[in-house]
Amino acid sequence: MREVIVHPERCVGCMQCMIACAAAHSKTGELFTAIAETPLPKPRVHVGVGRFEEGFPNRCRHCHPAPCMAACLPGAICRDQKTNTVLIDPDTCINCASCAMACPYGVIRYHEDNSAPAGKVVAIKCDNCIHRQRQGKIPACVEVCKVGALTFEEMSTAMKRKTDEISRSMSAEAGAAEKSPGFALLKTIKKARTELSAR
Amino acid sequence: MHYVIIGNGVAGTVAAETLRRFDPDGSITMIGDEAGLPYCRPMISLYLEGAVSQNALPIRLDDFYNALGITPVLGNRVVQVDTDNKQVRTADDKPLSYDKLLIATGSDPRPAKADNESLQNIFFMRTQSQVEQMLTVLPNAKHALVLGGGLVGFKAAYGLLRRGIKVSMLIRSPYPLSMQVDETAGQMIRHVLENQGLNVQVGVQVSSFEGDSQVREAVLTDGSRLVCELAVIGKGVFPAHDFLPKDKIAVDAGIRVNGHMQTSDPDIYAAGDVAEYIDIARQKPWVNAIWPEAVIQGEIAGMNMAGRPYAYAGSLSRNVIRIFDTDVMTAGLVSPSPDDTDIQVMSHIDPKRATYRKLVFREDRLIGFALVNRIEQGGVLTALIRSQQPVAIAKDSLMAPDFNFSKLMLF
Repeated sequence: MREVIVHPERCVGCMQCMIACAAAHSKTGELFTAIAETPLPKPRVHVGVGRFEEGFPNRCRHCHPAPCMAACLPGAICRDQKTNTVLIDPDTCINCASCAMACPYGVIRYHEDNSAPAGKVVAIKCDNCIHRQRQGKIPACVEVCKVGALTFEEMSTAMKRKTDEISRSMSAEAGAAEKSPGFALLKTIKKARTELSAR
Repeated sequence: MHYVIIGNGVAGTVAAETLRRFDPDGSITMIGDEAGLPYCRPMISLYLEGAVSQNALPIRLDDFYNALGITPVLGNRVVQVDTDNKQVRTADDKPLSYDKLLIATGSDPRPAKADNESLQNIFFMRTQSQVEQMLTVLPNAKHALVLGGGLVGFKAAYGLLRRGIKVSMLIRSPYPLSMQVDETAGQMIRHVLENQGLNVQVGVQVSSFEGDSQVREAVLTDGSRLVCELAVIGKGVFPAHDFLPKDKIAVDAGIRVNGHMQTSDPDIYAAGDVAEYIDIARQKPWVNAIWPEAVIQGEIAGMNMAGRPYAYAGSLSRNVIRIFDTDVMTAGLVSPSPDDTDIQVMSHIDPKRATYRKLVFREDRLIGFALVNRIEQGGVLTALIRSQQPVAIAKDSLMAPDFNFSKLMLF
């Protein structure tokens, strides 16, 4: 089963994932018209600023077991087994924020949404673009990410790739296996700048 | 294996489901003093308010007991546990044998210790049926009194106010939610309530109620009188374990359990409001009678009873409440004692944005927080407390408005 996997070291903080996510969850499905909708569509992935001003796409991990599911008072949270997607039912949700208190990653937001009854503020979080997956598409954030910080693949495939990278780096003849030297330099400069100003 | 669960609240319910998952063949009996399906107790205040209908309260489907092969014994309260013969006895004197017993009896509301508390139209707000009784009286009530400034009192006052009744909240402490928040947040909350038309009196207590058969007035300890046609007592709860043989089962405020939810009798477990184990923030035995703990403890009890020795790290007090436009989230130790020497408190109030953020550290470990507004990512802090790990980044960054999960990533 494919799932969205995050490779934080590759994120450049461009936030295109946020825009694509919001557009994918709009009524019209297109960015151009989404920005004029009421309620205004909002992203389910949140690019947070890290310690060295680097970006990080913070999204729901669809935990198993899910702390939000256990904490939910009215039982509005369930799991779609086929895609391992933890889903919040906007009709049952009572906007109590118990899930916010339980989520270790802080990925849940509360607002009106076209998926919810009109005028009702509900808990909103990543739904693995389950509506897109059912149409044979991949999650919007993955589709738009240019740097490979978000991929949609079997976990075992991604882990094998990582294992190979690390194995290669152990080889005596291994050169710098840097895929993006310019960006690695930028990150190093940001980190150094932050550490220097902290002194 | 014959499992008996006393209590059909959420702890008992989740325990039953867990038992069934790990032991498909064992027999499970659930005894509960409330008839009907397991329901969400915290939501009864929404039912009082009129925000949800009765249908929203059950947390399991109609065929819950049947589908899991559970034998329900409902509308019955257990009066005795015979640990030598491994039997429990209900009020109608029926004995039920067990191999393993779970006590998930929850807690009962504490009386206000005022005279004439048994007059009609004075209610606790603990059960769905109590709220149903309140609703029948509402049309004739113009003034309501709520005794207690804790979570139940708060929610009762809010619900009654939304129903168009004039409500006075009578609080003994200097500010509302004194068990959850500190003085600063408490006063912010009090102002929100008063701006919305709630009458809040602090530092007061009711000494007696007066009326013929129905309550008409309350007399405070300072002699003043308040007219009321309805009163709700929210003076706290205490664990329900009167029926236990105290010489056989160790009981403190709650039933003492170990990290496997086991009592001093190895075949008897306890979970939920009735159980007492180590509080992570306080580092001592404590009862945290809140919904999410009952869920977690019910599952852990079920696993251990079915032979899977999963260990519990300890409980954590926490709460989130939305009142009108103000949100409050708290966890752990929010008001440390001034004698605690290794405690560091960081706090910031922004009156313009109506936000408050308070973090409490014991050396380098986060042990408590209180947030007024901007609560959405509070769970990151809850998880930090629960991890019991030292905070490896600058503590200041936890206070900053841009704090988010990625700040904690150290690679």
